[in-house]
Amino acid sequence: MMSREKFPDDMLVCRCEEITAGEIRQAIREGARDVTGVKRRVRAGMGPCQGRTCEKLVQQILCQELHIGPRQTGRSTARPPVRPVPFGELAEGVSKNDL
Amino acid sequence: MIYDVTVIGAGAIGTSVAYHLCQKGFSVALIDHGDIANGSSSHCDAVALISDKAPGLDTQMGYASIQHYGELAKTFSYDFEYDRKGCLYVCETEEEYAAASAYAKRQASDGYDMHMVDAQTLQEMEPFLAKDLLGGIWTPGDIAVCPYKVCFAFVEEGKKQGLQVYPYTHISRIRLSADHAVEAVETDRGDILTKRVINCAGVWAPDVGRLVGLEIPIQPRKGMNLISEPTERIVWHKVMEFGYMMSKFESINFRRNVSPLVEEYNVAFNIEYTKADNILLGGYRGFRGFDVRSELEAMQAIAERGIRFYPCLKEINCIRSYAGVRPYVKDHLPIVSAVDTIPGFYIAAGHEGDGICLSPITGKLMAQLVAGEPTDFDIQKLSFSRFANAQQTA
Repeated sequence: MMSREKFPDDMLVCRCEEITAGEIRQAIREGARDVTGVKRRVRAGMGPCQGRTCEKLVQQILCQELHIGPRQTGRSTARPPVRPVPFGELAEGVSKNDL
Repeated sequence: MIYDVTVIGAGAIGTSVAYHLCQKGFSVALIDHGDIANGSSSHCDAVALISDKAPGLDTQMGYASIQHYGELAKTFSYDFEYDRKGCLYVCETEEEYAAASAYAKRQASDGYDMHMVDAQTLQEMEPFLAKDLLGGIWTPGDIAVCPYKVCFAFVEEGKKQGLQVYPYTHISRIRLSADHAVEAVETDRGDILTKRVINCAGVWAPDVGRLVGLEIPIQPRKGMNLISEPTERIVWHKVMEFGYMMSKFESINFRRNVSPLVEEYNVAFNIEYTKADNILLGGYRGFRGFDVRSELEAMQAIAERGIRFYPCLKEINCIRSYAGVRPYVKDHLPIVSAVDTIPGFYIAAGHEGDGICLSPITGKLMAQLVAGEPTDFDIQKLSFSRFANAQQTA
C-alpha cells in the first residue's frame, strides 16, 4: 500500500479543502504527528467528505516524514453522520441504521 | 537547567499562562500528554462573549479578556481568526423579552455596550432568522476566535521568547522537596527541574492534583455541536436563544416551550459561521464522564432546535458532529490560585465553557500572581482554598 516515492509538494491531497502534500509536510514540521494533528493545522480531512479520500494519503505522508508505521499515524475520530444529511432529516429523527 | 515555571496542559489556559509568563521574563516549560490543543480546546465552540456572563466579576473578566484578544490579534503574527462579529441573544416570548431587557439594562448601567433590538432590526441583522421572534440583546463587542489556533498562536509567540514545549510527554511524578515545595516534574522524557508547577490540565487537572495529594473538584461535562457543509451565508453574528439562559436562572420558575427531546438533552440553540464557511450549530451539555461519543438523539434535538430559529437549515447538510468535555466546577467559577500547602504549586483550571473566553485574562492574572504583582482583579473568589475540605487531604 505504501508508495516509496514521495508525492510532489504541489500534489492536491485533500480535495475538499484544497490542501497539498507540501502543506501537509509543513504541518508535520510544525509538530503534527498524526492524522488529527495534520487536520487541526491545515484542515486536511475537514471538508464535506470528512477525509474519505485523503486520510490514507495523509497517513502515507506521515509515515514517510516521521519514519513511523501506518498504525502510529492514527485516524480521524469516527463521528456520525457517515454521509452528509440535511438538518431537516436529522431533526425528524433517524434510526441508527441511517447514519 | 532549572525552569522558573513548568505549565502542565497545552490547551487554551495552559498555552496562555505559558505565553504570559514568558512575557514577564520567566523561563517556562510547557508539558502535555498529547498534542497542543488536543483536549477540550479543539472540541468546543469558537466565541468569547460577555453577553452570557453574570453581571459583576464574571462580566469584568470576560470583557478584559476580549479586549486582550483584540490586542493579541494585532501583535501576533500567528492568525487565530479573531472576528468581532457581535452576539445576538434572541427572545421567543414577551416574558423572555422583559427579562432580557432587564439584564441588558443592568449590563449597560455597568458601562458595557449592550442593548435591545426590536423584531424589525433583528430581521435586518439576520434575515434568515424565524419571523416570529420578538427581538433580542445585541452586544457588538463580542468576538469569535478559532480555539485551537489560539493555542497554537500562544505557543508560537511564546517560543519566540524562549518557551520550551514538551508535547506527548507523560508525567509519572511531581517531586517535592523536604519542605514540601515543588522541585521537579518526572516524565518519560526525563526529569524537568522546576521551581514552580502550574496545573492547567482542565478536566484532567484532578489527575495532576493527585500527584501532589490534592483533590481538585473538577468534573468533565460533555458538550456537543454539529457542523454543516460549507454554505452560502445564512448567519452573520453569533446568535443564541435567551430562553435557555432564563431556564437556568434558579430564582424563577421558567420553562421553554420545547419538545421533550430538546428538554431532555438540555439543548441551547446557538449558531455561528466560521472562516471556512461552515456553520457550527449547538448545543447540548450533559454529564457523561469522559465519554465523548456523539449521541444520535442529541444530534436530532440540536437539529430540531436549530431549525426552529433558522428554518432554512432544513435544506443544509450536516457533515459532522463532535463532542468534548468541559472542566465543570460546582460553583461555576474557575480556579486561578496558588496552593498554600505546597509552595510553588498553582492551579488555573475549571473554566467549564468559558476557557476560550477567559484564556487571555487567565494567563495574565496567573503571570501576575507568580510574579508577586497585584492582579488586575481581586481573584480571592477564584482561590483554591474555597474548597477547604479538599485541601485538607493534601
